Amino acid sequence: MLEIKGLKVKLEEEDKQILKGVDLTVETGKVHAIMGPNGSGKSTLSYVLSGRDGYEVTGGTATMDGVDLLALEPEERAAAGLFLAFQYPVEIPGVGNMTFLRTAVNAQRKARGEAELSAGDFLKVVRERAKALKIDADMLKRPVNVGFSGGEKKRNEILQMAMLEPRMCILDETDSGLDVDAMKLVADGVNALRAEGRSFLVITHYQRLLDHITPDVVHIMADGRIIRTGGPDLALEVEKNGYADILAETA
Amino acid sequence: MALAKRTTDPALAALELPQGGAWASEARQAARARLAEMGLPGRRDEYWRYTDPTTLISTDPTPAKVGEADDIFAGTNALRLVFVDGVFDADASDGLDESGVEILQLADVTAKDIHWVKEFYGVLEAAGQVPVARPLAALNTATATQGAVIRATGKVSRPVHLIYLRRDETAEAVMHHVVRIEPGADLTLLESGAGAARLSTVMEVDVAEGAAFHHVRLQGRDHERRAATHCFARVAADARFKSFTLTLNGAMTRNETVLTLKGDGGVAHVAGAVVGDGDDFHQDDTVFVTHDAVGCESRQVFKKVLRNGATGVFQGKILVKPGAQKTDGYQISQSLLLDDDSRFLAKPELEIYADDVACSHGSTSGAIDDTALFYLRSRGVPERTATMLLTLAFLAESLAEIDDPALAEELRDRLEGWLARHH
Amino acid sequence: MADIEVKDGVDDETVAAVARLSGKYKYGWNTEIETEFAPLGVNPDIVRLISAKNEEPEWMTEWRLSAFARWEKMTEPTWAMVDYPQIDFQSIYYYARPKSMLVKPKSLDDVDPKLLATYKRLGIPLKEQAILAGVEMPEEERRVAVDAVFDSVSVGTTFREELKKAGVIFCSISEAIREYPELVRKYLGSVVPATDNFYATLNSAVFSDGSFVYVPPGVRCPMELSTYFRINAENTGQFERTLIIADKGSYVSYLEGCTAPKRDTAQLHAAVVEIILEEDAEVKYSTVQNWYPGDEEGKGGIYNFVTKRADCRGDRSKVSWTQVETGSAITWKYPSCILRGDDTQGEFYSIAIANNMQQADTGTKMVHLGKRTKSRIVSKGISAGKAQNTYRGLVSMHPKAKDSRNYTQCDSLLIGDKCGAHTVPYIEVRNNSSRVEHEATTSKVDDDQLFYCRSRGMDEEEAVALVVNGFCREVLQELPMEFAMEAQQLVAISLEGSVG
Repeated sequence: MLEIKGLKVKLEEEDKQILKGVDLTVETGKVHAIMGPNGSGKSTLSYVLSGRDGYEVTGGTATMDGVDLLALEPEERAAAGLFLAFQYPVEIPGVGNMTFLRTAVNAQRKARGEAELSAGDFLKVVRERAKALKIDADMLKRPVNVGFSGGEKKRNEILQMAMLEPRMCILDETDSGLDVDAMKLVADGVNALRAEGRSFLVITHYQRLLDHITPDVVHIMADGRIIRTGGPDLALEVEKNGYADILAETA
Repeated sequence: MALAKRTTDPALAALELPQGGAWASEARQAARARLAEMGLPGRRDEYWRYTDPTTLISTDPTPAKVGEADDIFAGTNALRLVFVDGVFDADASDGLDESGVEILQLADVTAKDIHWVKEFYGVLEAAGQVPVARPLAALNTATATQGAVIRATGKVSRPVHLIYLRRDETAEAVMHHVVRIEPGADLTLLESGAGAARLSTVMEVDVAEGAAFHHVRLQGRDHERRAATHCFARVAADARFKSFTLTLNGAMTRNETVLTLKGDGGVAHVAGAVVGDGDDFHQDDTVFVTHDAVGCESRQVFKKVLRNGATGVFQGKILVKPGAQKTDGYQISQSLLLDDDSRFLAKPELEIYADDVACSHGSTSGAIDDTALFYLRSRGVPERTATMLLTLAFLAESLAEIDDPALAEELRDRLEGWLARHH
Repeated sequence: MADIEVKDGVDDETVAAVARLSGKYKYGWNTEIETEFAPLGVNPDIVRLISAKNEEPEWMTEWRLSAFARWEKMTEPTWAMVDYPQIDFQSIYYYARPKSMLVKPKSLDDVDPKLLATYKRLGIPLKEQAILAGVEMPEEERRVAVDAVFDSVSVGTTFREELKKAGVIFCSISEAIREYPELVRKYLGSVVPATDNFYATLNSAVFSDGSFVYVPPGVRCPMELSTYFRINAENTGQFERTLIIADKGSYVSYLEGCTAPKRDTAQLHAAVVEIILEEDAEVKYSTVQNWYPGDEEGKGGIYNFVTKRADCRGDRSKVSWTQVETGSAITWKYPSCILRGDDTQGEFYSIAIANNMQQADTGTKMVHLGKRTKSRIVSKGISAGKAQNTYRGLVSMHPKAKDSRNYTQCDSLLIGDKCGAHTVPYIEVRNNSSRVEHEATTSKVDDDQLFYCRSRGMDEEEAVALVVNGFCREVLQELPMEFAMEAQQLVAISLEGSVG
């Protein structure tokens, strides 16, 4: 599904190398987790994959089912089936959540040559999926993320994921700012989508989200590289001993 | 209105006035005297520092190509009054018999020796000359012969729509409307059309106790036309005044709104949305709201989207007079600059002489929010659509000032169409 | 009561400071001292006389004379929201100096004890051994070098030797013109040209003294520098000129304080301050302006017409203006920042209090010329009595000032229904990569907060002072500590008689 080879990235504005050669392959239907200390480059990886400005790829490749992701515009990547759940979902005053969702869903359908959803069908699907995430009608009416609590924003991200039905989902620190109940809701949402054979890349600082979303593979990232790869046990090791041991080992 | 470059006071004092009945002659002479006192506007005047009045006061108007007539509000059941190059066209207009409202032509009432209009014609304009001079309005009062005189006595069931058509490439139109909303009455007034190569309108609106006046205006079509419009309104106790203008085109547009809240509990909102493209687009909103009563609310909401060197100007003031306690005054002026050549010049003022007030203003200028744009694109929305969505969202707060959802929807569609074309 | 809170930032220290306060204008007494005046009025001869008194070189005299010729053709500006009787510029003394200063004192020990006593009474630590009262901190850190200006002349500058060791020049401007003519000639009038505006031009012609600071490259000035201005003589105008040059990579913090005796007739003060910042330099300029404001009927007081401007010429330089304006009958003052270099920064923090018949029209200009320049404006205006208080400001983003930022917050507070609070910002944006945000609010002192304070035993005046100090907190915390304490007390004193 997702194949990253020797990816090197620096910040455009300052001469600072963030990713120093990342290799990573996520197979169809698998859940990979990336853990690592702050500043290791985890979020940069998610932004580069989704096409945010401000980063310069200085080497390596990233493909999804053989398609060169790095050559695509952000919306083309989305239409190709890539989805990033933001660490800090953006507030857009003046744009209704429903309008936002419908515009996105139909833009992607159009890009894929599918017919647009009728207003009625769309509404039906949104309501049903929103309900599962405990997103009420009011949240759907309000402007995108404006005045949402931290938990509401993250649930809204998962709702978008459910509506857009991507094949490759990247979750960037989705657990940050969530209480236990909200985390459970988010994890249930993710697990429901996982059941349908989607691939996930879960970026997290702590192990706790992985209690709810059990990964197939866990990677440890530090200083712009993947320094260790292992099974779910690796996450537990980090939880128990912190990053220091692993960093010392590979240093 | 051949001014023949008469910018000196003696020349203005000798300005030829139209013939009319006793009250009209008196009102016009008084206006001419005011004008001579003030002189014509110049760049050195404080409220003309951001807008060059030259093309609005030159001897003859610059010719402007005549575009297609605008069909906005065509789907709305309205009573239509058509003016062609500033002259009333009875044949093209609807019959003026309508329940709850009396509609006359200015030309007819000025011919009379006495008429109720004399209590308003030039009166609100004169009151609005202090503390800021508005010479173009005085000039209009002195020379106008055309316009609608509207008196609403009850709840008027459909809007009155003033349609300004154009035929002549060089015509100059001077129209002066007088609107009186009697106590408890309710009227919606629509305005659309370019009107003339150069258009001057003054509208004096007196909203009596408990009455309501809604004004929705579209200034679209005809890229080369120039316009100076003035609205002078007096809002009595518990009365409501709401005005919204969408400006899409035109080489020069200066919209002045001068509102006075005269009775306790009055409400006055004035809003505008502007989308301008090109370095020959210059649009100016100059608003002056005076609170002269207790417990009144005023809102000024102006949003401008500018590109390719377009210029947007906002000069807005909230004046709270001594004793105007419990005032709620709000003002927001924002511009979205879609490229690096466009300009936004603003002077949002507060002048407050009462202490128990809550007044605020905000003004921002900047480019489209990159983060929001990326967020939309990451969800698969193409850049162009995303930009339009964000632009419409930016304008939404001003469109929300239109009470009638159908009219708001129609203007929103017009905006969307404009944005789709000007990409 | 549980959900009512005293405004953020009002701490015990403030409560204590406010509680200690008493008395009206504290600095209204007069020093009986023999004074030498130039003849009344202004003309080229007076200009020459001032120049001669200061033993100035020919070029300086010429510079003054050409400014005077220009001034004669100018008219007083009328755009500010201040109203005052016509000033008769020919009935003012343009030069006054204590007779004891006829022979220049060689050291502070030679200064007339009456003058020293005056400054002592004002609380100014003119003597090197003076210790600022009440602040417990290591001696090294609390020293402030002072240049004291009495009417038209500088009476002494402290800590000069020590500053000299660091390479910092701090002296009176009259001395600088004699001792460092190349520096003065290069920079004087380069930020505020002699033709700038009516009052600045008059100042250029007749300024008698003021302070001069030069901080050489890479030097962090080892102590705070301060100038203290005192107008003593009657019918005398004070026209001081301050020139601060911060060379590459240098830093200096500069404080300015002003007082004057109570007099029934208004007195004119027209100063010019110029600051030049080269690459990576930083200057912090703080003012506590407490000129005599006139009495409750508006009789007397200082007419304060001041031009202050900083030119951030060098890339990455930064200037910060902080002002507490509590005095003067009329204040007309717009400390400005020309952000010429790339990545330069300008800040303006202001508290302006107008009580009784005072009128203040003050604000700033932020002119963004360089790329990625940043400015921040925080203005707190308080109006009481029958006073009028106006914030007037300009934020201008030039086409080349790409990726620049401005944030402006203007808050006005009204105490009583006879005063006025006004906001007149000009915002000019000529590129789209810059972001400008302006917010302003006007409201009255919160009744709930006042009631809460009073229910805890404060009288109304104390409560108002407390709440107002909270309202001003954001600006007060920008002041150096010695000034912050003084400013807090001033806020309270200035508002006396505004309630009840």
